Amino acid sequence: MSDLDTQTRDALAELLLAMADDEFVLGFWDSEWTGIAPILEEDVAMSSVSQDEIGHAKALYELLAGLTGDDADKIAFGRPAEAYRHAALMNHARTDWAFSIARRFLYEHADAVRLESLAASSYEPLADLAVKMRREETYHLLHFDLWLRRLAEGGEESHSRLRGAIEALWPDAQAVFAPLAGEARLVAARILPESLEALRARWLERVTERLQAVGLAVPPTAGSPEADGRTRRTDEFAWLHGEFTMVSGSEADATW
Amino acid sequence: MDDAARADTFYAHVSGGGKVEPDDWMPDDYRAAVLKFVEMHANSELMGVLPEREWILRAPTLRRKLALTSKVQDEVGHAQLLYRVAEDLGKSREQMLQDLIAGKTKFHNVFHYPTRSWADVGIIAWLVDAAAIVSQQALRDSSYAPYARTMKKICWEESVHIMHGRDVVLTLMNGTDAQRASVQDALDRWWGPLMQMHGPPTNPETDRDLIWKIKAKGNEQLRQEFLSIYVPRIRELGLVIPDPALAYDDEAGRWAYTEPDWDELRSVVTGHGPKSQERLEFRRDARATTQWVRDAIIGPVGTAAA
Repeated sequence: MSDLDTQTRDALAELLLAMADDEFVLGFWDSEWTGIAPILEEDVAMSSVSQDEIGHAKALYELLAGLTGDDADKIAFGRPAEAYRHAALMNHARTDWAFSIARRFLYEHADAVRLESLAASSYEPLADLAVKMRREETYHLLHFDLWLRRLAEGGEESHSRLRGAIEALWPDAQAVFAPLAGEARLVAARILPESLEALRARWLERVTERLQAVGLAVPPTAGSPEADGRTRRTDEFAWLHGEFTMVSGSEADATW
Repeated sequence: MDDAARADTFYAHVSGGGKVEPDDWMPDDYRAAVLKFVEMHANSELMGVLPEREWILRAPTLRRKLALTSKVQDEVGHAQLLYRVAEDLGKSREQMLQDLIAGKTKFHNVFHYPTRSWADVGIIAWLVDAAAIVSQQALRDSSYAPYARTMKKICWEESVHIMHGRDVVLTLMNGTDAQRASVQDALDRWWGPLMQMHGPPTNPETDRDLIWKIKAKGNEQLRQEFLSIYVPRIRELGLVIPDPALAYDDEAGRWAYTEPDWDELRSVVTGHGPKSQERLEFRRDARATTQWVRDAIIGPVGTAAA
């Protein structure tokens, strides 16, 4: 598939950037738990997970860089805050443990659905990468499903914190499947084997089943995700952007 | 055999290079000394997380981000392993963590200082870890066998950290003038704490940790080893070590240097360092805000083994 026309290539670049930014920004937020997670064993596990996400982001940025002739680090660190394309779900700080767990639960299942589909992508480098990423993500799914249950069944305070977090994040979680400008073209070329709306329906089914299994109400879903699901930004993200560009942006053209 | 005779036999055993397993009989003094030593080591790994953690969000490339998160993760993992070794000696992890944040127990001097720049992150990973590995390698021969075994694993990981740190420093030294200057500035600030890190020379006739072989080498010997390996490596990169008296004395067969500020060391490790209270407060706060999670999964403290 080296003979992509310009418009298809642009559409593919948009998809890769969206996925890479999801992993990158979430990886940064959750790496803040390193050293201060509730228990030492979980500290080590959460660090692993956020390293996996940064590793996936790196692989996706590299794929994108190969497509556009750019540099992975430059894409990752060299853009103004408004040019990031992560889903609104990743706009928020890590907040408390319940919030971080709720977000990971919602995101891991969204990512799993996305990767399962992309494993059949007609764009081979992406299909190969999706297969590789799924191996690690399988562990993430088990880990965060377990945490969801622990917190849901961990007494009144724990349950209510978790419920609040799920409710707060629910609308922004839909944004992982917010429409992409070049989506129709990607689906037609079977680079994206299914529409994002179809993926969202599958995700909704899975998370609904799991939430109900642990006694959590599923918040109402207000139709399809908004078009700005990957472009609206928050002050919290602006702060994070300031942090992760502090060193890399401190000197032009320096090597780090 | 009465306890005094048993103790004599025990001390002859460890002084002669014998090993002790957790289930072996041991005198209370030995148990307390090992516990204190391992607990401070565990505390240091846990508090050592904080100076670098502040820079995890600021790592400037994808590769550095991965390396730094992985390094800090290793330190947490080391703390976990070491607390487990200490727990077997009769003090719960929960109690150790509470004593740490209450300022009742100590952690290494180098973790009481601020991390001012990305160059500091490189200097810490390279030289603080290098100074640490010199003593940790010696601890692989500790008379307390579980500690010695744990040290084997830890030493391997620390050697990876040193490579990461040296690579950060090397990259900066090959960079712009400002980048080079930032490394020199970091070295200037960290040299004093590094020279203090192994502690003042002790009298080998009265240093119980040494006599009982809880540690295998004395403080001064460790400092000398560190200098022998790292002074040439530091200078090789074009850095200037901020001690005009530092020189190898061929006749004496040892490094001469300006006397480290032992008052500063004593003051810092008793909680009066530039960042001591802030870091303890940060850890207290992190413990407090996540208490509900521990309560949720293991029950409130006191009702279950924490």
